[in-house]
Amino acid sequence: MQQGKMHPIHTCNSIRPFKQRKSLASRMEEVIGIRGKFPTKIPVIVERYQGERFLPLLDKTKFLVPQELTMTQFISIIRSRMGLSSTQAFYLLVNNKSLASMSLTLAEIYQDYKDEDGFIYMTYASQEMFGYFLATGKGKCKECLLKT
Amino acid sequence: MDAATLTYDTLRFEYEDFPETKEPVWILGRKYSVLTEKEEILLDVTSRLWFTYRKNFPAIGGTGPTSDTGWGCMLRCGQMIFAQALVCKHLGRDWRWMKGKKQTDNYYNVLNAFIDKKDSYYSIHQIAQMGVGEGKSIGQWYGPNTVAQVLRKLATFDTWSSLAVHIAMDNTVVMEEIRRLCRFNYPCPGASAFPTADSDLLSNGYPDGAECTDRLLLWKPLVLLIPLRLGLTDINEAYIETLKHCFMMPQSLGVIGGKPNSAHYFIGYVGEELIYLDPHTTQPAVEPIDSCHIPDESFHCQHPPCRMSIAELDPSVAVGFFCNTEEDFNNWCQQIKKLSLIRGALPMFELVEHQPSHFSSPDVLNLTPDSSDADRLERFFDSEDEDFEILSL
Repeated sequence: MQQGKMHPIHTCNSIRPFKQRKSLASRMEEVIGIRGKFPTKIPVIVERYQGERFLPLLDKTKFLVPQELTMTQFISIIRSRMGLSSTQAFYLLVNNKSLASMSLTLAEIYQDYKDEDGFIYMTYASQEMFGYFLATGKGKCKECLLKT
Repeated sequence: MDAATLTYDTLRFEYEDFPETKEPVWILGRKYSVLTEKEEILLDVTSRLWFTYRKNFPAIGGTGPTSDTGWGCMLRCGQMIFAQALVCKHLGRDWRWMKGKKQTDNYYNVLNAFIDKKDSYYSIHQIAQMGVGEGKSIGQWYGPNTVAQVLRKLATFDTWSSLAVHIAMDNTVVMEEIRRLCRFNYPCPGASAFPTADSDLLSNGYPDGAECTDRLLLWKPLVLLIPLRLGLTDINEAYIETLKHCFMMPQSLGVIGGKPNSAHYFIGYVGEELIYLDPHTTQPAVEPIDSCHIPDESFHCQHPPCRMSIAELDPSVAVGFFCNTEEDFNNWCQQIKKLSLIRGALPMFELVEHQPSHFSSPDVLNLTPDSSDADRLERFFDSEDEDFEILSL
């Protein structure tokens, strides 16, 4: 997306999205297998937004979440995993589009949003920053020069 | 730098008048007709405080930047939405600015709180320096949440306005939290003592009348800011109706956000276009003659406001509301509840009475991989693939 520099964390997210790493058939098979083994848990894929520049990568992509867990609880877990303070922006978008209502349980979200492969997909992101780069004599960005 | 600024500024500004349309124009909770009320619309817009890039102000921190061109746009938008809260508090939503007309002291006090000098409550200096605590060095770009968090901290020093500033995180507004923040006790004559803070915090749900025999429950004016992300790269269309409704509420303070890289202060909409004040013009800093004589013309946008298609909106925004009284807040809650019933309007945030259970309880945070589950899983999976992380209750 935008320019480099401010991100404390690895921007070059070379990992391809889960959906692109596996065929539909093998993802479906995986869900059937795991649902048979853990019928009360929801298979969730949590990935970082490709343009995210502030939030760290999680070390896991696939989660099995108790179906009665609420989104609030689930997000609390991820927030604490990342060591985020309560005032840092963190959003989990279902199917790359919608902010899930926090009082819903994972079972309810699953009902409404599950993918054809049987997983539910969530992407996390913080907020974009706003500003623009002024060209200076040496082509360096203004923002970098102002850093104290 | 000036050359770059000039090019940028001259390129982007072509002020178009409002389209002749029957569609209503909404500006911060007020409905207008373009056909019959064009002057009223422009007067309303001009009356808002307009903060832009400035140059030649006293160096931030003594040795830092003397201009915010290129990096200050979101900080300026934060100033604008907060200034609107101060205008509502001290002057009222109906107050209007007229060029050359002598204004009240309250007006100059509001303006003075945003002047580019180190000791103004909400100056670019204060915002940039307070941002260091949010992990932003001076001159770094802000997002809507960043500036909201900083303004909340700065507001605690503004005893003149005495605002309660609440930033609703995780797209959830908890009514109980807001009531706890805004209500404060004022002992009536004859009341023996202040109740302890603890007893208030512990009482769940307040008595219906909200008034006790020996004390009055007063309400601090509320500034409610809700930082959101309404999509990843583009705004999810399902939120557009809801977003429009925010500008229709009398409590509206507008929205801070922008197009990618350019922050704007959105004050309303007409049809499918957002109406905004744009900070991307570099003006020379203004030095107040004294606190009641500030050359103020450059703080009011005297051309028709800019417009852009709602679909172009960057999904990162913060929506703002001002509730002067508890009744205003209750009314706001009612409107939000009604809004959630409108078909085709996806709620942007959730309004709940109480903090959802286990919100930050350690029990939940201990939901780590369950070892017995993990054993079962190990037997189940061939290890060519990444494993599931299993959460258990």
